Amino acid sequence: MSESGQAGRFPFYGPQGRLVLVDSALEAVNRGSTTIGIKTQKFAIISSQIKPTHPLIEPSEKIFAIDHHIGATGAGYIGDILQLIDTLRLESQKHRLTYESPIDVDSLAKHLSTYLHNYTTYAVRPQAASIILAGADQTGVQLYQVDPSGTFFRGAGFAIGQASDTALDVVTKGYSADMTLQQATELATKAIEKALGEKPIVETGIVELGKDFSKTLRK
Amino acid sequence: MTTIVGIKTKEGVVLGSDKRASKGFFIGSKIVQKIAKIDDTLAVAIAGQLSDAEYIIKVAKAERRLMELRRGFQLSVRESTRLIANIAYSGLRNYQPYYVELLVAGVDTDGSHVYAADMSGAITEEEFASSGSGSPMAYGVLESLYNNEITNEQAKEIAKKAVSAAMERDPGSGNGIDLLAISNLTKEVVA
Repeated sequence: MSESGQAGRFPFYGPQGRLVLVDSALEAVNRGSTTIGIKTQKFAIISSQIKPTHPLIEPSEKIFAIDHHIGATGAGYIGDILQLIDTLRLESQKHRLTYESPIDVDSLAKHLSTYLHNYTTYAVRPQAASIILAGADQTGVQLYQVDPSGTFFRGAGFAIGQASDTALDVVTKGYSADMTLQQATELATKAIEKALGEKPIVETGIVELGKDFSKTLRK
Repeated sequence: MTTIVGIKTKEGVVLGSDKRASKGFFIGSKIVQKIAKIDDTLAVAIAGQLSDAEYIIKVAKAERRLMELRRGFQLSVRESTRLIANIAYSGLRNYQPYYVELLVAGVDTDGSHVYAADMSGAITEEEFASSGSGSPMAYGVLESLYNNEITNEQAKEIAKKAVSAAMERDPGSGNGIDLLAISNLTKEVVA
């Protein structure tokens, strides 16, 4: 079986030893709406650009509550994002049934990672969505990014979607461990605006230590 | 048959049990271990069918370890008890109940806890609890001696008295006492 020639004919490794379909999924994510996650010890926020549609059509929701204490957002195909959000919600409720306690963010990120990883081992379409998870659990405030390959990162600042490199630069330069919620929200908005070179609608979700996840109004 | 007691104290938890295994009117064993340590911070006292209890504990032990490795910190006492209760409940719903009443006792980051979990899958949190055929006698002692200011050492004495009283009058209990105390976690000093 020859690998050379058309990439994508063989569904797994390309000539360079890369997973072609997974790379394509990541490429699709990089064309998605610019999305930011910022975390300090006291809170975490997730912000996402809302792409303008027709004036008569309501744009899709981009910040999702997963459980009382966890929220998520994503970049990529909205259909894929919504499906992943639902598996996250399902897993959170399963944990409550089994252990009678809210799930920790780490377990949820690992579950999503495993779920996505499955799509890289079989001849199916990997999910074209990266997810940012923010939540507060027994270990404090947590922020995770999970990619279509199943790779996941824990950290204090993430950017995914269109022009995410530029956005992550802005976040990295503007970040400080003792910033306020207000400052972080402004930084996220600024990062999205800088990356896109315009002022889009941004939806933001907030998790604070000891408080439920909440969404702010779009602006 | 059996007498087991669990007591919550300001320092941790204490479990006590007798050592008799009955086979009808015959004493099947005089040295049965009815207190099973799941790990350093959690233990279960067993009343009822020993084989059923052993199985549930074995599963709970594995699940607890697995969860600790996966998420990086231990299950709380309540989480562990719910896990055990779910196994009991699934047995009940399948018309093959696990014939057990367990006392789950341990310590976690928010203190010490004693739970009673029965074959119906119900769990209740208690300051002190007893189970088995000797429990009415044990409860008499516990009710009169317990207060929530006692230490583990004092609770051991009370547990001993409660199980002894039961062994005096309950033919299903006897042949000596086992005790186990678990101390509260000490708060880690963050530099």
